[in-house]
Amino acid sequence: MEDLFNYREDREAYSAARMRALEDLLIKKGIITDRTVDTVLDFFETRMGPFNGAKIVARAWIDAAFKERLVADAPSAIAELALPEGMAGAEGEHVRAVANAPGLHNLILCTLCSCYPWPVLGLPPYWYKDPTFRSRAAREPRAVLKEFGLEIPESVEVKIWDSSAQVRWFVVPERPAGTESLSEAELETLVTPEAMMGVAIAKAA
Amino acid sequence: MKLQHYLGGLEGLGPVCTDTRVFAEPWEKRIFGVHVAMMALSTQTSAPETLSIFHTVWVWADLRKGAEALHPFDYFKYRYYEKWFGGILSYLIANGYFTVEEFDALADQYYCDTAKPLPEGGDDTIDALVERYLVEGDSPRRDVSVDYRFAVGDEVVVRNVPSVEHTRLPGYLRGRIGVVETVYDGAYTYDCDTGPDGIGAAMPVYCVRFDPADIWPGNAEPNFLIYADLYDHYIEAPAVAARAA
Repeated sequence: MEDLFNYREDREAYSAARMRALEDLLIKKGIITDRTVDTVLDFFETRMGPFNGAKIVARAWIDAAFKERLVADAPSAIAELALPEGMAGAEGEHVRAVANAPGLHNLILCTLCSCYPWPVLGLPPYWYKDPTFRSRAAREPRAVLKEFGLEIPESVEVKIWDSSAQVRWFVVPERPAGTESLSEAELETLVTPEAMMGVAIAKAA
Repeated sequence: MKLQHYLGGLEGLGPVCTDTRVFAEPWEKRIFGVHVAMMALSTQTSAPETLSIFHTVWVWADLRKGAEALHPFDYFKYRYYEKWFGGILSYLIANGYFTVEEFDALADQYYCDTAKPLPEGGDDTIDALVERYLVEGDSPRRDVSVDYRFAVGDEVVVRNVPSVEHTRLPGYLRGRIGVVETVYDGAYTYDCDTGPDGIGAAMPVYCVRFDPADIWPGNAEPNFLIYADLYDHYIEAPAVAARAA
């Protein structure tokens, strides 16, 4: 879409200067401190991010009973794991997990904005926030997934979850074949945010 | 009617963006941090007092209203955090935290001098509160007695409520028939009262299943289903819908 519109030539420098002016005023007026923004960013780099989701999925792969509990009641199942404090915090207050299975593929969507399970997955990537994805995935999910490099045949049912109220959704992808000998920690490395939103599947390294 | 409320199913848009970055430019991280801080400092939370002078309500709905109020072409034109920046800046000016003249003058200074340092200082209680908000969240669930009008398996019709400024009802579902898949336990408020659109007060929420072949007859891919979480006010029994017609 970008080439359809005219943008200022100094688009990013202009935005960067305005952002600094805004942060300057917020600090000077006493709304936030000179550390507040970094405190938030640090939280998402170290405590709330896709590394938590990867641990949840890896556990579901090695423990079928945990996976069942995760799909039935995600917050309780997540609370069983030794994850950072705050898994039910901001944008994680009401999470639900849906599991892929042979013949079933799930895709998470937010057609109205960009609802995303922060504690499980961190912050939403650009593709998820893009209006084109949010428009098209509702009517032609397979065509959209193909553009992500994922072929889902017509014989596989696709379920789309449009996040329009309090629930923040994520997908438990299927465990890739050939990973039987991997440890739980090794399995975690195979889980991407894209697989946990349904635009990819988990693959053996 | 706002295009932003009717994105689901829109055609002719070309390929999707597959960019997996969260932030496209370093400045975008800063506006995200500012938004989270404002959410934490917002006066509707039961948070303890801090020394911050923030004294108004700032919730997701405020950010969403800003994006929904844009010219629909601008909605597609600007990147995600460019829209956030515009909405947050307008809000802060409208609520008297500073003036547009103050802001413009300072933006000029930072534009001309990219090495100009930010001011220092601020009270630790502010950052403690921001962290507390991230850890504890702000659940919309309320402990009130709930009258569930629908049960799992019930057929429901999506109402065509008048959504003036803001809604949580995806436009493509209006008037469509779905089946209740999940009745969520409890009642849920929304960030703000959406007026004639009808949400805000604590009410049940249902996960409702739709067949895309009913939504876009002859023009949707086969073998898929759409599930949406819908506030109680947005749905009604088919018989009620028929009487009103």
